[in-house]
Amino acid sequence: MKKTVQIPLGSQHISLLEPIRFKFECENEKIIGVDADVGFVHRGVELACTRKFEFKQVGYVVARVCGLCAITHSLSYTLAVEKLLGYEANDRIKYLRMLMVELDRIHSHMLCLAHTAENAGFEALFMQIMAQREPVMDIQEAISGNRVQFDYISIGGVNRDLTPDLSALIHKNLAALSEKVDALMMLFDTNWSLSLKYKGIGVLSLENAYTYNALGPLARAAGLASDVRSESSDLPYEAVGYTMVLESSGDIHARNFVRLREIVNSIAMCRNIVDNLPVGEIQEKVKGKPKGEAVVRVEAPRGELFYLVRGSGQNILERVRIKTPTFSGIPAMMEVFKGSQYADAPAILASFDPCMSCTAK
Amino acid sequence: MKFFTPFRKKSPWILHYNAGSCNGCDIEILAALGPKFDLERFGAINTGNPKQSDIFLVTGPVTYRSRERLVELYTQIPEPKVVVAVGSCTDTGGVFRGMLNVEDGIDRYIPVDVYIPGCAASPQLIIDGLVKALEILETKSKAIEKPFKLFGAVQMIGTKLSRLNMAQRVRHDEN
Ligand code: SF4
Repeated sequence: MKKTVQIPLGSQHISLLEPIRFKFECENEKIIGVDADVGFVHRGVELACTRKFEFKQVGYVVARVCGLCAITHSLSYTLAVEKLLGYEANDRIKYLRMLMVELDRIHSHMLCLAHTAENAGFEALFMQIMAQREPVMDIQEAISGNRVQFDYISIGGVNRDLTPDLSALIHKNLAALSEKVDALMMLFDTNWSLSLKYKGIGVLSLENAYTYNALGPLARAAGLASDVRSESSDLPYEAVGYTMVLESSGDIHARNFVRLREIVNSIAMCRNIVDNLPVGEIQEKVKGKPKGEAVVRVEAPRGELFYLVRGSGQNILERVRIKTPTFSGIPAMMEVFKGSQYADAPAILASFDPCMSCTAK
Repeated sequence: MKFFTPFRKKSPWILHYNAGSCNGCDIEILAALGPKFDLERFGAINTGNPKQSDIFLVTGPVTYRSRERLVELYTQIPEPKVVVAVGSCTDTGGVFRGMLNVEDGIDRYIPVDVYIPGCAASPQLIIDGLVKALEILETKSKAIEKPFKLFGAVQMIGTKLSRLNMAQRVRHDEN
């Protein structure tokens, strides 16, 4: 007699925002094998970037790979093309770009925390965090004109400037947010029922994180120091007060805490940027057509985002290759599932913060 | 004899399906359900079960692999049902129009009642669309619950019979 049961999760499921399907091989309540199917939302963006769109338009097309980290996608593409054109942005442009990326990171992390809380069965906390996320969305709307999918970055600069009114708004909203985040940290650390759901569950050890090539918060929660912000010099992160956040236990609790502490760090960076914004133009003329090959890495909210752009001096590019953080993280994720209880699967999955539209493109 | 109509109108349950969107519109739906915009004041609640839902919120331009699931979910929702397409790419294909794996909008596969434009559709627009959808749901619900005359029964049985064919499950090759 067969001893194991197969339980599918997805492709359409209440706890999933996106279509992904897992097949869990369960022995009683314990998961012993996992099979993942991620390609439901494949649209063919990479191919279209090299056929349909000119290189000036592609920046706005790749933003539609993912709505949560849209700004990181357009930033990486823009940096790659600017490298090919031999152009280096001035400091004001770099700072404004960093400001948007960090704001995006704050709201993405808060959404993930809300989702983890919901999937652990804590609906009220989900609503609370969603409410606290709104001030950040307001800032983004005030700066760029749209709540998500703000096409803020273009080749040669950014599309809107920061006025004194906006700086005041940013300071006001971020001050309110940082108090709330402190309260959230207390809650996530001391709440008894949350700790039952989070502490010691879904553990990824440091060794496994290393062998399975985990990225982003998943790796940093396990104690693996990998963060592109400290490794690459495309953007001056050191100057605005970046510190790496590391936890050691590798469970869901640690992942939540990495996210919370990164929010605190990002808030500090945003304040620094707004206070010490250099003077300069926000949009400069860039001439020429991209020729050659360039590689850019940028830290997205979920980990390292990798872009390869190859052009041959034409309007249409030859190749755009996107490697997204969730795609590289899947082997590590499958490893975490093995040995845990089936009832914890949605919470564990939410704590990875997977982004399927990034993965399938 | 319009017994169910007020209940349907006061508590429309939502089924949300992502047919290949970029997540932008999905997080705006979540934000609209959240406390600031508070879609739940209309009685709407997000369910995961097509068999209990009244309103079908779809995002995304329908990819090759999600189209069968889309039709399957649509057929599982009981009548009366309203389909709301959220976002430009759901309406027409938007930025993804003509891409390799994309089917250019959901109205090629299922009938759509409300189109919400915008990339990404703002929560205010989503609320607007949902209120429109509620009106449509009410008219559809009334039409279903209309009392019929005795001689009308013959005609009704005729329509019921013709619907039997429609209710057959969509076949698909992938498991
Ligand atoms: S309409 Fe725009 S934001 Fe919405 S899912 Fe489509 S591409 Fe994303």
